Amino acid sequence: MEDQILALTAELAAIKSAAQVTNTMFAEAYYYLTIPLMVIIHAGFLLYEMGQTRVKNVLSSGIKNLLAFAFTIITFYLFGWWFYWALPTFPYDLASGAGYMEISGIAYANAIALPWGDSAQYMGPNMGDHSSGVFWGAFALFAATTASIASGALIERIQTVGFVICAIVLGSFAWVVAAAWAWHADGWLVTEFGFHDFGAAGLVHAVAGFFALGVLVNLGPRVGKFNADGSANRIAGHNLPLTITGLMLIIVGFFGFLMACIILPGEGWSWYADAGTTIYGTPMTLSSLAFNVCLAASGGIIGAWVFTRDPFWMMSGCLAGIISVASGLDVYFGSHVIIISIVAGMLIKPCADWLEGLGIDDAVGAVTVHGTIGLFGVIMLGVFGSGIPALGAFAPEGVASVNLVGQIVGALVMFLLGFVPGYAVSWILNKAGMLRIPDAVQIKGLDVVKVPAQAFPESMKSK
Amino acid sequence: MGYFADSFTELFNADGWIDMGMYIGAGSSMPGWFTVIASVMLVAILVKGNNDEQDHYK
Repeated sequence: MEDQILALTAELAAIKSAAQVTNTMFAEAYYYLTIPLMVIIHAGFLLYEMGQTRVKNVLSSGIKNLLAFAFTIITFYLFGWWFYWALPTFPYDLASGAGYMEISGIAYANAIALPWGDSAQYMGPNMGDHSSGVFWGAFALFAATTASIASGALIERIQTVGFVICAIVLGSFAWVVAAAWAWHADGWLVTEFGFHDFGAAGLVHAVAGFFALGVLVNLGPRVGKFNADGSANRIAGHNLPLTITGLMLIIVGFFGFLMACIILPGEGWSWYADAGTTIYGTPMTLSSLAFNVCLAASGGIIGAWVFTRDPFWMMSGCLAGIISVASGLDVYFGSHVIIISIVAGMLIKPCADWLEGLGIDDAVGAVTVHGTIGLFGVIMLGVFGSGIPALGAFAPEGVASVNLVGQIVGALVMFLLGFVPGYAVSWILNKAGMLRIPDAVQIKGLDVVKVPAQAFPESMKSK
Repeated sequence: MGYFADSFTELFNADGWIDMGMYIGAGSSMPGWFTVIASVMLVAILVKGNNDEQDHYK
């Protein structure tokens, strides 16, 4: 009998060990697969941006987009990841253990997020670590997404290297600070204000959108965009089907982006052994994303259709619909999502027209779709979701719950974290002569001046 | 800057993989020096890229 019990105990231990290996490998594969899904976002932005460009500038726009992706990911490895772990409690306290969860601060970041010294073991191959690489990869793609969001607004007149520097500041610093403050469980916007932004409406989309606005102020419009009396001309891209297809690919990639925002159960880094959660440790399921993302995409298209029959704005409405509910995808009921996303879709064209009336040439509507709707989404969660606990059951006493004031404060912080760095870095670049392409080159066409290749047969000419 | 082990036998026979870097130069200062070289390369490429770009606009 005793022998049988011992044998069963050993067998049970082996089964538990095998189950843990399966869980670990599943979790690693889950996050790994969000990375190529998010690369689809970039394929989408590439098509979208090149489609919105005139024939004479197509390849230049593509090059700019590709370089933003590449430089953002590498600089996120070199220092962006460190900022995320170091800054959640900044400016209150930079000491390790300053936050409730004790997983932040400079010493903690030095221990896990630098590609040199002892922490290098978590920044490269390590058979005992199945999480650092895939989490870093997902975050690196979030970072590259911010750069791609800003990229489209600036097409046809921003210099390539100047834009790359902007992309590095945005992707490896500005949005990372927002994520540290508003996503990390030690982040002061979360613990002190109850800020909740599950799907990054504020900390990715609004930051990137208003970063683009800061750059646009210094960059100025494309040659020919505005007349002497201030009225605007429509500068059509060369391939609307390409743009619309690109937007649809961005939506596909968004499913991966949002998947990566879930914390799976059962691992050493999980919030719980048996339940999936948000990054805040609050409960959620993939099923809630299935309901709400599909409904939001649809609601946004319908809302945009109310004010425009233009398929570009209808697909932009699709994007806006998802962004408008991203903060609360984990807690909204489907009907909430339909209402909010339809309103978001209705808002984008009037908001974009208003911005254009101020003399801002946002070539793809990124400031409106990502910036304005991002903030709209953050605040809508405060309207509908006040009272939701900001952190999971592990939260100590005194942590704020989600509330309207906290969401408004968070929205203001997101605006500033986007606009101020965008304005500052582009102001410096402008003074250094590295921001705006000379008007004569814009008129001639960027590709013929600086790209040793042709996008299309010579029969296709730009007006 | 060599690899961290000459054989995997001991590691395979252990209860589980240990939590440590398993790449060329692990445990030494070499990863840090390679990071410095990579960073300098990036900056140099940006400077060269900008110089070339400004020449195009002249």
